[in-house]
Amino acid sequence: MRHVPSTQLRRLADEPLVVPDQALRHVASCGRCQNQSSDIAADTALAARLLSSPASIGDVDAEWARLQDRLREPGPARYHGRNPAWGMRRRLGSASLGTSAAAVAGLVALGAVAAAALTTIYAPTHVAPVRVNLADIRAIADITGLGPSQLAGGLPPAGSRRLAFGELTWSTAGSAHQVSSIGRAMAATHLTWSPPARLPAGVGAPSSVAIQPQVTVTVTFSRAAGPGIAGSTLQVTAGPVVVVQYGTKSGQPGLPTLGIAVMQRPVASSTGATAGQLENFLAGRHGLPASLARELRLLGNPATTLPVPVPAGLTERQVRIDGMPAVLIVAPSAVASAVIWESRNGVVFGVGGLLDNQDILSVARQVG
Amino acid sequence: MDISFVTRSDAESPLAAPRPFERFFRDQYSAVVRIAYGVTRDAHLAQDVAQDVFISALRRFPDPGKNDHARAWVRVAAVHMALNAVRGERRRERREQLSGVEPAAAADPEELLLDREDQVEVRRALSRLPRRAATVLVLRHSGLTYAEVAAAMNATVGHVGTMLRRAESALRKELDNASRP
Repeated sequence: MRHVPSTQLRRLADEPLVVPDQALRHVASCGRCQNQSSDIAADTALAARLLSSPASIGDVDAEWARLQDRLREPGPARYHGRNPAWGMRRRLGSASLGTSAAAVAGLVALGAVAAAALTTIYAPTHVAPVRVNLADIRAIADITGLGPSQLAGGLPPAGSRRLAFGELTWSTAGSAHQVSSIGRAMAATHLTWSPPARLPAGVGAPSSVAIQPQVTVTVTFSRAAGPGIAGSTLQVTAGPVVVVQYGTKSGQPGLPTLGIAVMQRPVASSTGATAGQLENFLAGRHGLPASLARELRLLGNPATTLPVPVPAGLTERQVRIDGMPAVLIVAPSAVASAVIWESRNGVVFGVGGLLDNQDILSVARQVG
Repeated sequence: MDISFVTRSDAESPLAAPRPFERFFRDQYSAVVRIAYGVTRDAHLAQDVAQDVFISALRRFPDPGKNDHARAWVRVAAVHMALNAVRGERRRERREQLSGVEPAAAADPEELLLDREDQVEVRRALSRLPRRAATVLVLRHSGLTYAEVAAAMNATVGHVGTMLRRAESALRKELDNASRP
């Protein structure tokens, strides 16, 4: 047989099963082909070492959001240089942000506002608890110009507020509305999960299924925000959210026993201001309680952590759902509890109700 | 301020990317950004390149679906745009050196897989290779099979082996030349 061509010797290095047996037999007995094969294998190994890529680069959700941002810019969407979030990811060590898709709507709204004020781009991968008290809630209300009741979900579908340092604008992709089934909610939102097959004692069938379309919150900084920040924009998108409420076994109206909230995780982006400028701006906000700032610092990596606000008076425990970190919140006397976690594919779940923590975790583990 | 463009379900907006394209983006993003990284050796620059690739792809394939040509196109475009970006970065570095500005230091863990000098040498060697050689190298070593590389480059599977062999040999020679005093 003639010597084996270099093409086949090359393929021998990484797809040996497709090389004909005849060629393999020849290589085994031919010193010249063996030497050439060794040279080729060395070149292949060198190229493989030098050109290998990490298994995962970037976050597809955040990059999709960035693409959408670029598409709406006037003029041709072109190369804009480096993502402003990079500097933030590298250097931001003292702040964090987040919204929560918890069963508790007020906590969700508080987190969203905190998110808007804290980072340029953000795509969390896991949850972590943050203790908040009444003073923290008042401080956030003062900074954002929104009262606790409004933060708890009382905002109209779209609108704006003038803040001391700019303007806060929000809009939704549509009104919150009821749908007839969980299946329809999944189809409308592209959020898929497993509704619990085994419900705790006393919990009846779903009594309502509601969809909140995606919400976008934007903070446009005014001149009052100071040099560097003025004119820049922070934007947080969250949702859509599906909320399923379950009634009682006896069919007693108006008494939900269990709620499941499913939400596409929030993503935040920024234009204009640098990481350092945003850090300085945040540090300069009057009224941000030191205890809250300390809690946020303890979260770890701010770019990947979704803070779950835990109000004073409730106990909190960290557990795992499907291997992912989860925050279990229990009311005094265990009359109610809730658990919040983020799945591996970026969906935030909250399961809560007038049930003890064992029942809540049992439902959560079926959903997650 | 009009911010409706960012809403996920705002498919009717002429500025929003339509849903079929979102599926395509999510399916292909990982492969495209890894290919771009193969050239740039810089995760952040690779992410920017991937953005540019998909912006261009949206104009060519607004409804890519399962279009094999669209899949092949974004992969080859990732190599070409990444090579262009590397050349642009080299020009920028030269300008900064001339003006006395220190180039930004790499801080990504991924970039620490190879030391900084190796990263620069690999980028330079790739950008000196013929485009087709650089393309076959990067596509194959980003994890594509021979069949996928062949589809992306409009070549036969057998010819991929030939191109790959020549390209790997050329890469080694470029690196050898660069390391000579």
